[in-house]
Amino acid sequence: MSDLYFGSDLFSEFDRFQRRIDELFGGFPSSIRAVRRGAFPQVNIGVTDDTIEIVAFAPGLNPAELDVSIDMGLLTISGERKPLTPDGDSDQKVYAQERFAGTFRRVIELPQDANPDKVQARYVDGCLCVTVNKHESSKPRSITVQ
Amino acid sequence: MSDTTEVIEREQQTSVTPRTQEKSRDRRATSVPAVDVFEDQTGITVVADLPGVSKDRLDVKVQDGNLVIEAEASVPTPDGLRLQHAEIPAPSYFRAFTLSPDFDTAKIEANLQGGVLKLRIPRSEKARPRRIEVKLG
Repeated sequence: MSDLYFGSDLFSEFDRFQRRIDELFGGFPSSIRAVRRGAFPQVNIGVTDDTIEIVAFAPGLNPAELDVSIDMGLLTISGERKPLTPDGDSDQKVYAQERFAGTFRRVIELPQDANPDKVQARYVDGCLCVTVNKHESSKPRSITVQ
Repeated sequence: MSDTTEVIEREQQTSVTPRTQEKSRDRRATSVPAVDVFEDQTGITVVADLPGVSKDRLDVKVQDGNLVIEAEASVPTPDGLRLQHAEIPAPSYFRAFTLSPDFDTAKIEANLQGGVLKLRIPRSEKARPRRIEVKLG
């Protein structure tokens, strides 16, 4: 079968390999709030000089049912995604069910300079974008040499 | 190893990457979107997670008997963003499936809502299961 598999890009192959390794070494200690890779929703985090940008890739949710909160410097995103397969329909054959279904919760530790009073969240095309402003005092500034 | 991993691997073996020359030269990293595939009497439903994809950046096509889903994600981010942690490393998605000839590729319906693509691939009339009446002789 491997001949039929026109080598897709190397990065996703490495990703698959990494997941296998993670399964093998899952018992080793890591950050106390770390979750296993592949948890839903997947999260990308970036920073600018003024803000911390968190993007959660959570498609197919009702934004009203998404719960985003900040408590003690922890940003929590939780909610539920309902499975699409109507059970009870016995004629239906399921070939793949890779999409996540069920309740989820992800916790992100915010850096010290995050200001929990200034947070915006919006849901666009299945992505939850959370913008956390930084404290004024922590913004980078150049120091003049006298 | 869980059952899900098995399913994913089997699916990946049926997928092929585009063979066109310009694609292989411009080989960017792509993510493999998670899919659900179900079949009923009248056809197959494919549901794919494509977060961050809007309608104009999605390309679904049938090429050489393969169903190809290609999409580009765009998330509105401010200028000067420095990425610190990325679980989705590439903003583009690619996945392909082989289609058997009993599907009516002219009647595929696609619907994208909230980053979830739903494809309905109907079976051609000829290939639908029929019950054959048995008459007593």
